[in-house]
Amino acid sequence: MIQVTNTVKRFDGFAALDGVSLSVPAGSVYGLVGPNGAGKSTLIRCLTGIYRPDEGELAFDGQSVWENEALKARIAAIADDWYYFPQASIRDMCRFYRGFYPNFSMERYEKLKEVFEIDERRPLRRLSKGMQKQAAFWLTLSAMPDYLVLDEPVDGLDPVMRRQVWSLVLGDVAQRGTTVLVSSHNLRELEDVCDHVGILDHGKVLLERSLAQLQDNMVKLQVVFKDGGDVPGDLEVLHASKVGRIHTLIMRMSAEEATHRLAVYEPMLVDAVPLTLEEIFIYELGGADYAVKDIVL
Amino acid sequence: MRSKTSYFNGTLFKKNLARFWPLWGGASAIGALFPLAFLAILIREGSFFGETMSDPLDITRCYYEVVAWIIPTISLLYAALCALAAWGWLYNPKSVGMYHSLPVTRKGLFVTDFLSGMSMMLIPYAVTGTLCVAVFAVVGGLDPVGLGVTILSVLGLSFFFFASATAVAFITGNPFAFAGFYFIFHFIAAGLEWLVTLLTTMFYFGVERSYQGAIEFLSPTMYLTRKLNVDTVYTQILNPEGWEQAVLESVTLVNGWLIAVYTLVGVVLLAFAWGLYRRRRSESAGDVVAVGWMKPVFRYGVALCAALAGGMALYGLFFEDYRTAASALPMAVCMAVAGLIGYYIASMLLAKSLRVFRGTWKGALATLLAAVALCFAVAADPLGMETWIPREEQVQQVRFWMRGWNGPGVSVLLDDPAAIRQVLEVHRAIVAERETLDRDHFEGETHYAYFDLDYYEDPEDFSGWVNRSYNLPCNDILMDKSEALQKLAALASDPLIQEANIFDQISGENIEARLTGGYAARLYNPETKEMEQVDLTLDQAKALEAAVRRDVAAGNFGRTLFMLDGRYEKAAYTADLDLYYSVTYLGRPRAGSHSQPVSLTLSVYCTETLKALEDLGVVNESRRLLTYAERSALENEEKGIPYTYEDPYSGYYDGGFYPADMVYPEEAYVYPGEEVDAALLH
Repeated sequence: MIQVTNTVKRFDGFAALDGVSLSVPAGSVYGLVGPNGAGKSTLIRCLTGIYRPDEGELAFDGQSVWENEALKARIAAIADDWYYFPQASIRDMCRFYRGFYPNFSMERYEKLKEVFEIDERRPLRRLSKGMQKQAAFWLTLSAMPDYLVLDEPVDGLDPVMRRQVWSLVLGDVAQRGTTVLVSSHNLRELEDVCDHVGILDHGKVLLERSLAQLQDNMVKLQVVFKDGGDVPGDLEVLHASKVGRIHTLIMRMSAEEATHRLAVYEPMLVDAVPLTLEEIFIYELGGADYAVKDIVL
Repeated sequence: MRSKTSYFNGTLFKKNLARFWPLWGGASAIGALFPLAFLAILIREGSFFGETMSDPLDITRCYYEVVAWIIPTISLLYAALCALAAWGWLYNPKSVGMYHSLPVTRKGLFVTDFLSGMSMMLIPYAVTGTLCVAVFAVVGGLDPVGLGVTILSVLGLSFFFFASATAVAFITGNPFAFAGFYFIFHFIAAGLEWLVTLLTTMFYFGVERSYQGAIEFLSPTMYLTRKLNVDTVYTQILNPEGWEQAVLESVTLVNGWLIAVYTLVGVVLLAFAWGLYRRRRSESAGDVVAVGWMKPVFRYGVALCAALAGGMALYGLFFEDYRTAASALPMAVCMAVAGLIGYYIASMLLAKSLRVFRGTWKGALATLLAAVALCFAVAADPLGMETWIPREEQVQQVRFWMRGWNGPGVSVLLDDPAAIRQVLEVHRAIVAERETLDRDHFEGETHYAYFDLDYYEDPEDFSGWVNRSYNLPCNDILMDKSEALQKLAALASDPLIQEANIFDQISGENIEARLTGGYAARLYNPETKEMEQVDLTLDQAKALEAAVRRDVAAGNFGRTLFMLDGRYEKAAYTADLDLYYSVTYLGRPRAGSHSQPVSLTLSVYCTETLKALEDLGVVNESRRLLTYAERSALENEEKGIPYTYEDPYSGYYDGGFYPADMVYPEEAYVYPGEEVDAALLH
């Protein structure tokens, strides 16, 4: 479990993290979303021991990460701007990582060679950005971490390789109970892989829920009333729109409860449609003055 | 595999050495060239520039010379490269992120990278040293003590320079700033002292070289290079062939303890670097100054240096009169402007932005006021540097050089208390008249005489204690009025001074001089209208030497030094009189003697010498002495050549240099009675 409590990190007086608290359950995939400049990368650098927070605590299974060599040996991270030695090949970096990560598995490394299909002896600097990202995943997953911290991990990967990479990560979660924290500014990217989501904006966590909680708490209904009538005024809806005779209603309740309430008005048609993560966030935060559009690109 | 201790990570260590092998490998290869070249020369020539290097002490001397004069400079430069290799990752946010996310503590990173850098420092020295020892062992043998001292010295110096580079590496977050700060760190103390003293020289009459190196110990490379030395003791023995030969008895690395002191300083710097690293924020990668509390130091330090250096440069550009003291007000303006420029440049570097003007006016105002205050404080001479004259009992030796408008100057080193007293009196008189003498304009055509003084508190310290240099205006009006100029002219012809001036090269405790002959040159033959030269017999030379000494005692030499407006040309002769001595320096490593000329400039006042020249028949009706005025008149009259004044001592002839094919007497003649040591010709 990753626990972040009231964490503050300032740069020249500017608070990039302003009292962040969040909790990543063990064996879960936690999506950290937020617009550019929200503080996602800063939080990840604090979590990986790069930055020392000015206030607050960051703990993995109750242990502080700062200068904790044994704990960091169980954490692997892929930064947004992954670093490699300028002259190094993947093989060279493999040797380097093996020297630091006690659980580094050469067996896994050899297996992943078939997945990534990159010449491991070519200098990394001569590989494309996408191939360098693949190399990062190759090495990081070979380190067999208990915690995987990923910052915008699939940027630069083609759709096929994205699917491959997520498949590997989710495989680790399922088989080894790896806890994954992944940051992205793209909700659609996370929708298929995350089971927990937190929204970060201006250095604060605005919302933190499991995906199931979010989906159970909101419903989208397509309704046709008798004689083409409008939505009754006493019905509590977050959002309503109409195309032809079909009304689309977003309501903060379960699908069962919403259907039950609508039954009073004897509608001609009631159909519950699943909400996308994007829609949930838009309507959850719709009342607040947040730039939700920035996180649903 | 992973290290068991968190203080050292073998993977990182090996990676560092593997990544930067061209650095230490290249340095090792360059270093290895020297012992190999030495070996090649020994095999080819049988000796190394005349030295067989078969004596272990000779080899130790070579080691110590390298330690004293080469290692500090090499280590200074090479440590910067090794530090960039070991700590370069601190300057890139990506690499900082990677290193700090690895499962290794900062302590482990610090220790491992420091050891990596030290290894890169030491490997080339180890390779070069091992080869040197092997080569020397083959040709001569080994002096274990000398070798041990050398190894410890190289270790100490390498550690100090790399520790200093490490400390600087943690101050900044930028590789270019690292290079700048590293060299600033090593030279700032001497540089600031030099700048401040340069400012004093612009205000104070006579203070032209006041740099004392008082805080030079804070600029270790300069200090070590100046203080470290090799002391050798030789004894003269007669070799089986009957020649005297110098044998090396002992070799000492003078002030070698300084290396130990700087090694301890290196330990302190390393602890300082560790302290900085513990507090260093990873996000400072890329910053010019990575340590918060050092940012004001940098900002105002740059402003101060800019005010001093830039202020003086601006003043020189717009206002300076090189002969007179600077004016405080324009200098203060220049320093304030330069200081402000430095302040804003530093602010821009710190902010990594050009938009720094808003909100910095308080600092700018403080800089401006500080620059003006510094300028006026220096101009006010609170320490009394301009008027300070050492007490007689403080001065062990004085060296002075004076040059008038005409003729050769006087250059002497005196330790006679009476002579020192005379020099101090002249100095006092000049200081008393400084307001009169240090001005822009004088009545009448004015030339300048030069009087340069070096006082020595400790005769062994050749860099001197206090220096004063005066550009003194000379014309007839001033010479009549100025007691200082009159005393200076009297000093020029003083017997004690002239004795030292003329015979300095052939006298002294460790000098054995024997007159061997001489010649008189540029004697005019009216019949042939040519200049002639007469070689002197030993007896003639002895007689002339005695006459010269009588003239010196009578104060007849040096009287033309301050003559002006044609009187010099009427009093000074064009002829040269040179006496030659065979000189042996006792206690020097190389045996044998060499020829030493004593050149004399004759004038109408040298009555004893002139009489002796006539009595000896060197000068007669067919070999006449000509004054400069007479020669010019003859040239005008007989050859129709327009009058030209030739100053034989300044190196100029009628506006140009001497003809290129002119043969100087020392090279042109074999001097009578001279015994030339063949070894000295090589």
